[in-house]
Amino acid sequence: MAERVGVEVVLALPDRQLSWRGQLDAGATVRDAVQASGLAAEQGDAVDLSRVGVFGRRVEPDQPLRDGDRVEIYRPLALDPKEARRQRARRP
Amino acid sequence: MNAPLADRIDALLPQTQCEQCGYHGCRPYAEALARGEAEINRCPPGGAAGIARLAALLGRPILPLDPAHGVEKPRQLARIIEAECIGCTKCIQACPVDAIVGAAKLMHTVIADACTGCELCVPACPVDCIVLEPMPVAQQDPAHADAARAHFRRREARLARERAQREAELAARKAAVEAAGAAKENPVLAALARARARQQGTPK
Repeated sequence: MAERVGVEVVLALPDRQLSWRGQLDAGATVRDAVQASGLAAEQGDAVDLSRVGVFGRRVEPDQPLRDGDRVEIYRPLALDPKEARRQRARRP
Repeated sequence: MNAPLADRIDALLPQTQCEQCGYHGCRPYAEALARGEAEINRCPPGGAAGIARLAALLGRPILPLDPAHGVEKPRQLARIIEAECIGCTKCIQACPVDAIVGAAKLMHTVIADACTGCELCVPACPVDCIVLEPMPVAQQDPAHADAARAHFRRREARLARERAQREAELAARKAAVEAAGAAKENPVLAALARARARQQGTPK
């Protein structure tokens, strides 16, 4: 097993997408990557660790990283999907 | 000898991975071209300039772009209208270069710099919340094409790995069920066998 894992952490905002690349010790977790990236500061230090994932899938923050993982910091939807559906239905 | 030629062809393709050529991305089209199985005029994003480059490399005559595979137009990139995104992940599954960040019931966002403008996400979206905007000229350079190629390869490798893992799990589960079945008599089959034995034993 590699002693270090190369990972990317991304925080995609509507107008700019931030990314951090780095090497972490093998056994490091998604949480470690988010912390190492420093991208939390971009969200007012408020990364909700229940909303993180790897390549489009939500994962637990203590999931260990694999080499090449892209850790993603997610944002909530702007609108509840059911409410959005209601609004679309109301539109002529 | 085919592999290096496919590499040289792939290097000339725009790496949009749009599949308008009818192949699953630029690399498979390059391989078909290397085998002499495809025409050089099937790549709309490459356009007339791309066809000329392919013709020069392959020593084939220049052809006009085949309209059956699309029209040449300025490069674009995708943007998600956030007020309308329902977090369905369809666009993420459709994106050939992992340029969309998001997960189920969470906001999806296009990484503009990684988007190739392939448009595959547009029909995938059930609520039509993806719009196309002009791609900055600075993004239409070899460095971005190289990045798109790397992202496509990374994604293909990951999907293949996940597929293999799923199949292995399925096979393991099947083997476990079969082993359990062999070890323990199936109660239904045993009851049927008893009934059959009884029936055969009773005189008509």
